[in-house]
Amino acid sequence: MALIERYQKTTDISYWEGQIPMSYIYTVGRAGEKFFREMMNGRIFGAKCESCDVTYVPPRTYCEKCFARLEDHYADVGGKGTVHTFTECHEAYDGTKKQKPSIVAMIRIEGTQGGIVHWLGETHFKDVYIGMSVEAVFKAKKDREGGILDIKYFRPIK
Amino acid sequence: MTKRVAIVGIGTTGFRATTPDVSYRELTYEAATKAYVDAGIEPKDVDSFVSTAEDFFEGYSIADEYSPDQLGAVLKPIYTVPGDFIQSLASAYMMILSGIGDISVVQGLSKASNMLSLSEMTTFAMDPIYNRPLKESPHAVAGMEMARFMHESGATREQCAKVVVKNKRNALDNPLAGHGVLIDSDYVLNSEVISFPLTQMDISPHSDGAVVVVLAEEKTAKTLSDKPIWIRGIGWCSDTPGLETRNWGEAIYAQMAAEMSYKMAGIRHPRSEIDFAEINDEFSYKELQHLEAMRICRKKEAGPLTETGGTEITGEFPVNPSGGCLGVGNLYELNGGHKVLEVVRQLRGEAGKNQLKDITTGLAQGWRGVPTATGAVAILSN
Ligand SMILES: [Zn+2]
Repeated sequence: MALIERYQKTTDISYWEGQIPMSYIYTVGRAGEKFFREMMNGRIFGAKCESCDVTYVPPRTYCEKCFARLEDHYADVGGKGTVHTFTECHEAYDGTKKQKPSIVAMIRIEGTQGGIVHWLGETHFKDVYIGMSVEAVFKAKKDREGGILDIKYFRPIK
Repeated sequence: MTKRVAIVGIGTTGFRATTPDVSYRELTYEAATKAYVDAGIEPKDVDSFVSTAEDFFEGYSIADEYSPDQLGAVLKPIYTVPGDFIQSLASAYMMILSGIGDISVVQGLSKASNMLSLSEMTTFAMDPIYNRPLKESPHAVAGMEMARFMHESGATREQCAKVVVKNKRNALDNPLAGHGVLIDSDYVLNSEVISFPLTQMDISPHSDGAVVVVLAEEKTAKTLSDKPIWIRGIGWCSDTPGLETRNWGEAIYAQMAAEMSYKMAGIRHPRSEIDFAEINDEFSYKELQHLEAMRICRKKEAGPLTETGGTEITGEFPVNPSGGCLGVGNLYELNGGHKVLEVVRQLRGEAGKNQLKDITTGLAQGWRGVPTATGAVAILSN
């Protein structure tokens, strides 16, 4: 059929629609547990590999370069960083157009090789540039739940 | 001395935005039939098979289980690589090198038009704990990567737009391509902004299609084919999936994969030792970024090279004469397969209106798309 003859009316073509409801929990792990507990206190933590002189944010229990265990090497890295790159996104995650675009940025946390991908707030897209200094703005303590959204956004340091 | 392995058969359905009259299995069946006829073999002659499939994109939890029948691979050695087609090609190549058999087959497929929630499925590829809670489109990742690449390389939006214009125009003369069109740079620059600086026209529209490739060990290859296309080098590499620690400006995964393939092929100066390339241009800037990463031009040179026509079919180093992903369509895990197919067609002298002259070596490159940092490269010679 497929090789020689062709359907000539689209309405003759049948299909079957199927859905897969996907529900899952993702264990944050030991390093994630540390990261999010500290975040609830308004602090950003990383994990440092002394031998590679690399600090990972978010923290990990292992170094991706030398494979050392980093579990007891957590450190408060502060809430400041620079905009490594950024975009103004007009498209929602489901492909529809957003009512209002968001500014999404990869923030390199000061003194680390890691960072946080988050929104920029209290600024305008045209004023943002690569290398701009920013700081984390946390939600009110009572509203923090131990997740990346405990940070409301990053804002320019005046 | 390592065994030599050649591509002795290729088959494809061609690539179209929709294929409502055929199932994904029938797409593969058509490509497989053509590849076996091209190679002058039957499925029973094949020693091992490798298929390429991503469960979510296929709509099955165990998509690999559904790959044997339409390839003629029932009760035969087969497994699935959930990566780019060129990674599957590497597996099939190694099967011959390791003596598992003399003939192996690689398959890849895209039925993107069946994915009703394609955007959400791609979003599900992002880290669930650190990235997904923001509920941002993966196109935001591409927008950020484009911005950082432009910052580091000095490439401009205009130069990225030139890639779109070139590739979509090349596609017009490629009967396999589904998204050829004649437009100018202004059309790209003024199209709807998706995630600045990325516009709608910087993004490859998706396509359906299948590719099947037959590989054979040297002695068998010479018996089967008058025009065997030799695999001279192959490489693959993954950067960290972490958006927080990866390199945003340079496509290191492409650099490392290319260097691995150059080493195998004995290539030291890719620009002069390779004649043309089919490389991943899923987003306009990726063509420029990949060109620099793979040392086809120096850092900061891909933009100017494109602007002055150096990567046109008539240029000094043609890039994506087929039309690339921008002109043929985004084929997801099949992207690398389309690149291999087009390099083979060129090296055989079967590329029709887009045929390049005096070529002996071509490069095919695949990338797994946002938010991944995985790529693969194959060096092919006639
Ligand atoms: Zn280390």
